Amino acid sequence: MRNRKAMVGLGAIAGVVLLWFALTRWFGIIPIGRFPTPGEFWDALKQIELRGFAGSRLHAHALHSLRLIVISFLVAVATGIPLGLLMGWNRRAEALINPVFMLIRPIPPLAWIPLAILWLGLGDAAKVMVIWFAAFVPSVINAHAGVRNIDRSMIEAARMMGTPPHRLVMEVIVPAAMPMIFTGLRLSLQASWTTLVAAELVGALVGVGFVLNVAQQDIFPAMILVGMLTVGVLGWFTTYVLGLVERRVLAWSVQGRA
Amino acid sequence: MGAIRFDNVGKVFGRANSGFAALEAVDLDIREREFVAIVGPSGCGKTTCLRMVAGFESVSSGRVLVNDRVVKAPGSDRAVVFQQFALFPWKTVRQNIEFGLRNKRTPRDERNELVDDVLKLMTLESHRDAYPHQLSGGMQQRVAIARAYVLDPDVLLMDEPFGALDAQTRVVMQEELVRLARINPRTVLFITHAVEEAVYLADRVAIMSRRPGTIKEVIDVKTVRTSEDWDGFEKIEDVMDLESFVHLRTRIWKSLREEKVAVDG
Ligand SMILES: Nc1ncnc2c1ncn2[C@@H]1O[C@H](COP(=O)(O)OP(=O)(O)OP(=O)(O)O)[C@@H](O)[C@H]1O
Ligand SMILES: [Mg+2]
Repeated sequence: MRNRKAMVGLGAIAGVVLLWFALTRWFGIIPIGRFPTPGEFWDALKQIELRGFAGSRLHAHALHSLRLIVISFLVAVATGIPLGLLMGWNRRAEALINPVFMLIRPIPPLAWIPLAILWLGLGDAAKVMVIWFAAFVPSVINAHAGVRNIDRSMIEAARMMGTPPHRLVMEVIVPAAMPMIFTGLRLSLQASWTTLVAAELVGALVGVGFVLNVAQQDIFPAMILVGMLTVGVLGWFTTYVLGLVERRVLAWSVQGRA
Repeated sequence: MGAIRFDNVGKVFGRANSGFAALEAVDLDIREREFVAIVGPSGCGKTTCLRMVAGFESVSSGRVLVNDRVVKAPGSDRAVVFQQFALFPWKTVRQNIEFGLRNKRTPRDERNELVDDVLKLMTLESHRDAYPHQLSGGMQQRVAIARAYVLDPDVLLMDEPFGALDAQTRVVMQEELVRLARINPRTVLFITHAVEEAVYLADRVAIMSRRPGTIKEVIDVKTVRTSEDWDGFEKIEDVMDLESFVHLRTRIWKSLREEKVAVDG
């Protein structure tokens, strides 16, 4: 079954590549220079990986971006989930934090870039801050909702069994909220990539966003495409890893089995 | 151990004087190891009564006592079996049953022994490592009952525990509960809509009036059951055919009917 799904996926990708050949080369529907041909793309890929582009080779750009994503995502999750859980469980904490959160939440993460650069310069710290902010919000919201939506009888069952507070939190509330928490994590990861690329476009010396930026200044469409597809592959990879973790953690749930 | 006493209990939801009176002057004494079923029209406050004993709900007036002590908070001396099972879906059957014992800090060897015993008692051994969603409703409710039993509670509180089960499973569970209750009698407060179920299971059946709910009548079943030897029959349908059973059932039915009519009128 999984094999079959993978086959269909590969087939679809092959179809898109064929279409790309067809449109750019065989029929010339897309004029030369407007969109790179597969050959140009391949040359650009070879160039960046073998000789380097925008200061580094492709894998160095990719690893740099990936590292930033992982760090920022983990920081965001490690701060967002506890805050969301706290707001979901404690009415007083919710009353205190939620208004502030509601006010900050609609600010697009990219709007923090100027401030981040002003505070932390053009280095990685500023990017971590901006990504942290983007990934933090969905983690908080979903952990919060996860706790608020826990079936009341679940808590009552725990109470009637004389569950002490720490076990109530660790063995009942957190696992009960876990499916929602994972929904938040997926959104957080997506937001992390969006923000990273934007942040690197604005100010960076290495990274896939920086590749895109330089390629645009050089008017080099094939290299832009290389940068874009690199982001796509990296994004897919991180989502895949998160999915593996989710399947393990939520093995008990009906969704987890699917 | 395990006597329950409702002493002139009232419950008002919402504000104390402008709120909605759910219960009024409920008086009921449940003796140690007695099985009492409550029947009554929908919304008369049966669940509220049970939740007060469990410690989930406060009283507005009067007192609820368990073992002569006023109930203040939930505790493992009063185990609850919920209509919707309320198992932890992230824990296996075994972990669900074990959960309360770990709260009590029961030593591991003793815990394993107790869990094994109750798994056997409820014929759950082959499902010990399954997750709840892998089990049928009847099996899940067995786990919920096992989870309550293993705590060795003074009092078992069951709110329509078989309400979510299909008719056949329900009958099996009823027979099994009778078996459990006779092997190992407990103080049980059992809520149901099914009059037959109440008569079959309980030592006494308390009938509640419509809102604001109060105990209207308490009917003794045990005397009839012992003198007619219902427990000598293995199958529930054989008991239900007995004249003594039909007589009691009809009597309770009529009493309930009066309440329903009063609602309409
Ligand atoms: N938390 C609450 N807040 C307000 N009203 C409530 C609350 N809980 C119950 N009630 C009301 O109190 C009355 C009694 O409720 P309860 O659930 O005890 O009835 P019941 O006899 O168990 O009904 P059923 O047979 O349908 O289960 C109902 O009218 C219900 O709407
Ligand atoms: Mg009810």
